[in-house]
Amino acid sequence: MPGTETGTRIRPLDELDIDAIVRIDERISGIYRPEIWEQRVGFYLRRDPGASQVAEAGGKVVGFMLGDLRAGEFGLEEPSGWIERFGIDPDQRGKDLGRQMFAAMVAHFQAGGARSVRTLVDRKDEGVAGFLRALGLSPSPLEALEMRLDAKPTESR
Amino acid sequence: MKVEAISLEKKYHGAVEHWQRHNFKDYETLLDQWEKYFPTDERFCLCAKLELGTSDTIAIGEHKGEKKRLEPEQLSEEEAAHLLAIIKAQASTEFGSIQQHAGTLERADDDQDRFWVLRVMAEELRHGYQMLHLLLSKDWSHVSRGVSGEQMVEEILSMQTGNHVLDAFNLDYDSFIDNITFAAIVDRVGKYQLTMQRICAYRPMADSMPPMLREEAFHLAAGVIPMRRWAQRAAQGDPFITMTAIQHAINKWVPRALEMFGDERGGETNVKFGFKDLKNREAQDQYIEEVQKMIRDINLRFIRARFPAYAPEQADAALAELERARGTHHGVRREDLLRTPDRRFFRRKGEPAFSMVGVDGEPFTDAEEYLRYLSRHLNEGYVASRDMRNYAEALRGVAAGTLAVKDAIMKMPKLKRVGGTCPCSKGVRWVMDGSAADQAASA
Ligand SMILES: CC(C)(COP(=O)(O)OP(=O)(O)OC[C@H]1O[C@@H](n2cnc3c(N)ncnc32)[C@H](O)[C@@H]1OP(=O)(O)O)[C@@H](O)C(=O)NCCC(=O)NCCS
Ligand SMILES: [Fe+2]
Ligand SMILES: [Fe+2]
Repeated sequence: MPGTETGTRIRPLDELDIDAIVRIDERISGIYRPEIWEQRVGFYLRRDPGASQVAEAGGKVVGFMLGDLRAGEFGLEEPSGWIERFGIDPDQRGKDLGRQMFAAMVAHFQAGGARSVRTLVDRKDEGVAGFLRALGLSPSPLEALEMRLDAKPTESR
Repeated sequence: MKVEAISLEKKYHGAVEHWQRHNFKDYETLLDQWEKYFPTDERFCLCAKLELGTSDTIAIGEHKGEKKRLEPEQLSEEEAAHLLAIIKAQASTEFGSIQQHAGTLERADDDQDRFWVLRVMAEELRHGYQMLHLLLSKDWSHVSRGVSGEQMVEEILSMQTGNHVLDAFNLDYDSFIDNITFAAIVDRVGKYQLTMQRICAYRPMADSMPPMLREEAFHLAAGVIPMRRWAQRAAQGDPFITMTAIQHAINKWVPRALEMFGDERGGETNVKFGFKDLKNREAQDQYIEEVQKMIRDINLRFIRARFPAYAPEQADAALAELERARGTHHGVRREDLLRTPDRRFFRRKGEPAFSMVGVDGEPFTDAEEYLRYLSRHLNEGYVASRDMRNYAEALRGVAAGTLAVKDAIMKMPKLKRVGGTCPCSKGVRWVMDGSAADQAASA
């Protein structure tokens, strides 16, 4: 619902935030990709409305953080909160908006019974990794493993 | 957010399932294909859900600060009667929208869109079930004028498109465009109503709202996201989807949606009783602002698809120029974009009822001219409907001075169809006991 015109606030994601998210992503990545965000926003509003958050400044959405509460995946029976995508307009960084969105998501996850919050990060992306460390996330005993399927098969036996 | 799930007594649960078999035949298809379209999502549950751990204090109105009411008898007679009417109207909308969606669902040109709408329908069924739970779990007899819970359920399940409580639920869909536009526009009013009722002084009603609102968030996405994609297709020259067709659907639904807030001058009673926290006009104003934002976003989607080389600021500038100067921008005209109809456009209830105002606020003085204008701004199937004929008759009466506006308003919702009972040959009622219920289950 329409918000106040001044100050900043954090509120749950809704379907009318797609446009702002597409813009923020375009500012960060240089790519206009509305289809992807339509799909992701549709997914999160269906999966766990109330988990994902946006940050408003002066009545305009300037940041987003998307994720959901999951249980039973990867054999992790206890419910945990997952943070998947986030971004803050470069002009609005350093105002604690990321931290506040994270806090709102954590509160939602805790209310849903989560005992941990998880994400995957590219260690080489110092901007994102540093931010996540500052929020208190630390390397997990679970390790992300992968195998390229498009390259030449390597010796595996 | 902890939630308690509750099932209705067997005969009522069976009545809803029976109703579903007649009115929502694709329900089983949805459940069968759930994993395909909604992988790892929680399975659908036909049950009432009550949020736990909510406030137990009345937030607004005459009883502000007092403990929320848990029983209808704790409300004054006037309050209870008022709330009972709200619950029944809410129930009518939930079941009514399923009947509307079912009419054109199969025409969806995209399977994902179709399954999203199917899920919306299933959740509306749950919302209807939730309202029946509110009617049946407590004793309303002191304000129901002798009508039993069972009779109330019977009455609600017997309604069809045409005799529901609110006008928006009495219009047939003309195409799948209506399924989508309805979700974006009419479910949005639903979101406002549910949000306002979160503070309801009657706690079972208040506690019903958060789970419903969480589902409503998806309903709005199931409307807005396909509309955005259609705008892209229209911009790219898809001959089968045009902005005009979408605009005509918007023109059909926005006026009815605005009327769902009730007369612009009213709503004080709800606030006084502590049932809602906004008066009608306040809520309607916020709603209009939100629809304007939705339409602006869809227009931007159109412009970016039409001019892929544009930066976001160029698209903003093009839209602003088109809105201001109403000219053309490299072949795109103002009329090629969507607009939010003026709040007085095509109204038949509330403050501007039967005033003759165009989509952009232009005034008309001649009823025939206005009806011709409407015929060009609504889809052809709808223009040829009984609803339009009734409206035109009333408008002509008002314009000629032979019918007072308040009488014209009274004439409006009545399209009443004959027969509202179960169409099974054996059954004449939806709610049945024991063996009759089992027999009907196989019908
Ligand atoms: C990561 C990002 C959200 C941080 O935005 P921000 O405005 O700096 O965030 P906040 O102001 O809320 O910062 C919260 C804390 O993180 C810290 N922080 C942010 N970036 C950091 C970094 N690179 N290294 C270390 N700490 C960092 C801040 O200093 C602050 O700590 P403090 O509260 O102790 O001072 C923003 O830079 C961004 O959007 N980056 C691009 C994201 C992206 O690429 N997303 C795609 C992947 S899904
Ligand atoms: Fe609903
Ligand atoms: Fe809905």
